[in-house]
Amino acid sequence: MREPMNVAVLLSAGHHPVSGRACPVPVEMQAIGLGNALGAEMTGLHAGPASETIADALGHGLARLVHLKIGEADDPLASLIAALGTEKSALVLAGRVGQGGEDSGLLPYALARALGLPVVPDASALREGPEPSTLLVEQALPRGARRRLMVRLPALVTVHPAAPAPLPFAYAARRRGVVEERAGIASPRGERAIEERAYRPRPKLIAKSAAGASAAERLKAATEAASGGGRVLVDPPPEEAAREILAHLRDIGVLRG
Amino acid sequence: MTEAAFSLSLAILALAAIAAVMAGGRARLWRAGRPAKVDWMRGLMALPKRYLVDVHHVVGRDPYAARMHALAAGGLLGGSALALLALLPPLGGSRLFWALVALAFAVALAGGFMVGRRRYPERPARLSGGKFQRLPFLLAAYAGGAFLVALDAALAGSVWPLAWPGLWLAAAGGLGLAMQLDRGPMRHAFAGALHLVAHPRAARFEGRRETALAPLNLEAPRLGVATPADFAWNRLAGFDACIQCGRCEVACPAFAAGQPLNPKRLIQDLATSMVPGATNVAYAGSPYPHAREVAGIGGPDLPIVGAGAMIHPDTLWSCTTCRACVEECPMMIEHVDAIVALRRFQTLELGALPEKAAAPLAELRYADEPQGRPLAARTDFAAGLDLPLISARAGAEVLLWLGEGAYDLRYGRTLRALVRLLHLAGVDFAVLGEEERDCGDIARRLGDEATFQRLARANIATLARHSFRRILTPDPHALHVLRNEYPALGGIYEVVHHSAFLDELVAEGRLGVAPLKASVTYHDPCYLGRYNGEIDAPRRLLDRLGLARLEMERSGRRSMCCGGGGGAPLSDIEGERRIPDIRMDQAAQTGAGIVAVACPQCTAMLEGVTGTRPEVRDIAELVLEAVEAMPARAREPAT
Amino acid sequence: MSRLRRDPRSERSRHRVEGAARPRFDLAAAPSGLHGRARRDPRAEFRLAQVPGTARLRLDRTQRVAALDLAPAARAPEPQAGPRLVAIPEPAFLVAAVPDAPGGRLTPHDRQLLGAARLLADAGGGAVLVLAGAPADELARAGADRVLALPVTGYDPEARAMALQAVLAGLDIRHVLLPESPEGGDLARRLAALTGEPLFAGAESLTARAVTRPAAGRRTEQRMVPPRLLTLAADAAAAHAGTLHEALEVAFAFPPLPPGAILSADDVPADPSRVPLAEADFVVSAGNGITDFASFHDLVEALHATPGASRVVCDAGLMPRAAQVGASGTVLEARCYFALGIAGAPQHLQGVARCEHVVAVNTDLHAAMIERAGLAVVADAQKVMPALLSLLAEKAADAETHDAGAGESEAEAVDA
Repeated sequence: MREPMNVAVLLSAGHHPVSGRACPVPVEMQAIGLGNALGAEMTGLHAGPASETIADALGHGLARLVHLKIGEADDPLASLIAALGTEKSALVLAGRVGQGGEDSGLLPYALARALGLPVVPDASALREGPEPSTLLVEQALPRGARRRLMVRLPALVTVHPAAPAPLPFAYAARRRGVVEERAGIASPRGERAIEERAYRPRPKLIAKSAAGASAAERLKAATEAASGGGRVLVDPPPEEAAREILAHLRDIGVLRG
Repeated sequence: MTEAAFSLSLAILALAAIAAVMAGGRARLWRAGRPAKVDWMRGLMALPKRYLVDVHHVVGRDPYAARMHALAAGGLLGGSALALLALLPPLGGSRLFWALVALAFAVALAGGFMVGRRRYPERPARLSGGKFQRLPFLLAAYAGGAFLVALDAALAGSVWPLAWPGLWLAAAGGLGLAMQLDRGPMRHAFAGALHLVAHPRAARFEGRRETALAPLNLEAPRLGVATPADFAWNRLAGFDACIQCGRCEVACPAFAAGQPLNPKRLIQDLATSMVPGATNVAYAGSPYPHAREVAGIGGPDLPIVGAGAMIHPDTLWSCTTCRACVEECPMMIEHVDAIVALRRFQTLELGALPEKAAAPLAELRYADEPQGRPLAARTDFAAGLDLPLISARAGAEVLLWLGEGAYDLRYGRTLRALVRLLHLAGVDFAVLGEEERDCGDIARRLGDEATFQRLARANIATLARHSFRRILTPDPHALHVLRNEYPALGGIYEVVHHSAFLDELVAEGRLGVAPLKASVTYHDPCYLGRYNGEIDAPRRLLDRLGLARLEMERSGRRSMCCGGGGGAPLSDIEGERRIPDIRMDQAAQTGAGIVAVACPQCTAMLEGVTGTRPEVRDIAELVLEAVEAMPARAREPAT
Repeated sequence: MSRLRRDPRSERSRHRVEGAARPRFDLAAAPSGLHGRARRDPRAEFRLAQVPGTARLRLDRTQRVAALDLAPAARAPEPQAGPRLVAIPEPAFLVAAVPDAPGGRLTPHDRQLLGAARLLADAGGGAVLVLAGAPADELARAGADRVLALPVTGYDPEARAMALQAVLAGLDIRHVLLPESPEGGDLARRLAALTGEPLFAGAESLTARAVTRPAAGRRTEQRMVPPRLLTLAADAAAAHAGTLHEALEVAFAFPPLPPGAILSADDVPADPSRVPLAEADFVVSAGNGITDFASFHDLVEALHATPGASRVVCDAGLMPRAAQVGASGTVLEARCYFALGIAGAPQHLQGVARCEHVVAVNTDLHAAMIERAGLAVVADAQKVMPALLSLLAEKAADAETHDAGAGESEAEAVDA
């Protein structure tokens, strides 16, 4: 029996996509679930201004939360580097893109660089490795494929939404959980030549629909296959139909053998 | 008095003492429960009425059972009490008195035979076997034996060769019955009587439909019920009152659909688990359909729910909270309260919800809407209709509470019909629009009391900002919550369902209707019929529309659920059939072309039934059709 | 179905006799050719669109069948000239694009990335440098001027990032573009962390003068002049089309790369039966035309596909709700969608809008799904299923005997 691993989970100040209210980021709650599945000693880590909802992570299976208090305009990176330096976590878990800041998803990478940790992105499952201080990571790839990686700890792993669903929120668990408030490090964000304005959704590019085409044509372009209209077999005998279908499936490469 | 008769009286005295010891032992188990506030005086005074009127009103739905119970219980109690009185010399010496005793026991014997005839040669599926199958023999032995002794005493000892064997028979039978008081069928007699006295919902006996769930103190050290000891003691007594008649399992929609819930078994599991070192092996009734594997062990301080305990979580989440079991229970047991109390612990303390039910609760927490849709989109159904916002005016006579159904494409049709009717009748109404949050019904039934109370408080604060006389809603779930459950949190409103409101409008002549030519059967929403007792207004309204109304076999307060309540569609526990399919079959059997509904959940569930079936129409849609069938000039409201 | 719109002025001018000082027209001579826009005849279109043999009026606007016979033979398509080759021998600067190119093939997102790189390069006389290995003709068509493959094999993103850093340091690169995809996004952030350069992540619109991206939970939009390092969201830029480019190999001496922290990496192909529908690669879906669900499940298994269903089937409880394809169910990202007995309601088609290939079997020739399909079979799906199953079983049996035969011959060889 190995000693339980020390795992830190980075929690960001999420917002509900519809209501805009403060809300935990689902993938970070999934990260808590992955850490719990490892039987790890878990600590939540949040750097930001005071917020009620950050503590909601305690309801999803987290026992302890360290809240580093910094101002609205401060960069959380410095506070997190300092805190993780003292926490001595073997594993740092984070969502792919934290919320509450610029949503660039750069923070885990910058943090890992500063702490000298390797980054493994998009974990959907974690297991202890065959040797001490190694970790088996199942990485989610597009189209349901997976990649099994073995990494040496300590490491920073970001979690993919394909990880198991988070534990449902338990009100009493949130009530029981402990929040440690600490002062963070004030480090104002550097100025960048970026203009900011209210978000305006941009139309997604629709291939093949010419400007000025009729509504019916645009709908067709939106729902039609990239390959365009295909072959039609009218009332073939079932055997012939089956042969044609299998040949076609083989042609496009979805059927092997 | 003959010697045998005197011995009988003494034997009954001894049996009564044994029974008292057994009952006391059982009652000690209830002391593990939490204290409960009980108005003892009032309860005791009301006991005869509660027993003779309220209980027998339910029992009387099965006339055979009612006669059987009246004979057996009346004869047994009467005969035994009289035989005890015979210990007083002047009465014991009277042959006439003994003839009376003999008569009472003869009645009990007849009851015992009826019990036997019901169970032999073939026992109906809803009745339990095991110890219950021995009951008619014990009854017959005790009553028959005592009858012989009393007969001998009445005839002044002339048939003494019958009296002595009779005495032994009575003693044996009586001992059997008294020993059953602890774990057997006879437990229902004293536990039931006590349950009637100390009933947790005493207002049920005073003609009120007390169906609101009690608010939970969110500061309590433990939220909800984990072990039998977490129940109030009178709830534990209530579980012991169960006589396993199986009426609840016949009424239960989840049981009919093959989901792993049987209310009778649930109550038995709860009753069993309060005994230290309990196992569920003695149960001899029908099982949970497709029962999930459980260890079947329990105790007063052991968890009730879990694969390693007494009740599987799937059982808990199969319930639609339709209260059909409560409505049918002759012992007035509150099954739904027990289920919600257990769910509260699972949700609030363990976060052990069914996977699919967790997401809606999360959305409710952060977006006030179970599907996470924008609150402003609630009024989208009314595109092109004039839907006044209450915030844009000084107030309104009627506040229209739209509810969850407003987001549903199909139900939007109903709401559009209702809004048009309100305009046609010139009703001064308005909606909350973006300010309307979910009423919290789903959260509460799924055990998330914290979210319910937050939503309720927020809604009460919103409603306090606006002036209106009453709330109109087409959603019986919202109606129930607003009318019956918000008062405990400080929001007291007059709430009216659209069926009653439209009935008023048509009766007052504010809506002119032309008769419709169609046959219709009305499906009572559980939260309107059973929870609120409103079964007449919708029927009256349908009659006003000139529709040929056919009744389903199960209707009114005994109607069957559509499967849409209590978060059951969210927890989606697998069964054999879908509940709405069963209900739609019942509707189709009436031969009616239309099933009239009055609830967004029922609409959604019944519309989901495929194949040839009656059309599903909300009452508002039918009224609008009738109004539109009127010639235009006559439609103008009389001014 | 359509006749040409007449333009009397241009018709007359086509009869003009050349060379005369005074305008002269020879109306008897044949005009030099018909010009002008084709004129539509809505009534004729309506007549043609009517589906015969149905009681109620049904229109098939797609004209797939009718148009086959009635297409005007006169208007043959103009012979298409091959795309023009554009060479940029001395670029002013380079715009690097790092496509994912899984298995050496460009994805649609990669093409869009190259299109965006092309846009930035063309604005200032630059050239597009693609930092990935892919077939040269594919890259040339996608708009690549220069190609340089990164010397990293296997899964080692940190080494890739270091190689990129070396390229950035060694060549005159004004912009580096990566796709905001799982792999590209990861690489971009590693590069940003390595070089300390700011990253403009997930650009949603891009011109030579400004890029924008959503920030703060899609509530604000950031906008700036295209920076050096940026990632591009899917469907945000148009793929390059029209001209061919050189796709010249560039020589570059990479420094030796240290080994990363990843000790081993194994790819696990997806198990189709357990993949969530949204992630599935190949979905076989049942609609109202399917009654035998046992065979359907057998077929799904035999095809190594993920099962799906239409709304009606899920409503009837014949398939689980999680299997529902469409606007109210799951929107697929599958490569191939095989629809059995599904007519294709608009909401259902929305669910398969992103599928590259669609195969449909349906009894109704005019069903929308038949029109959407790359291969459409107008037949009873209930009859086609057993034929497919027996054919697949035959193939499986063949393969087995073949394998067994191969084993035997091997054994013989050993004996010999």
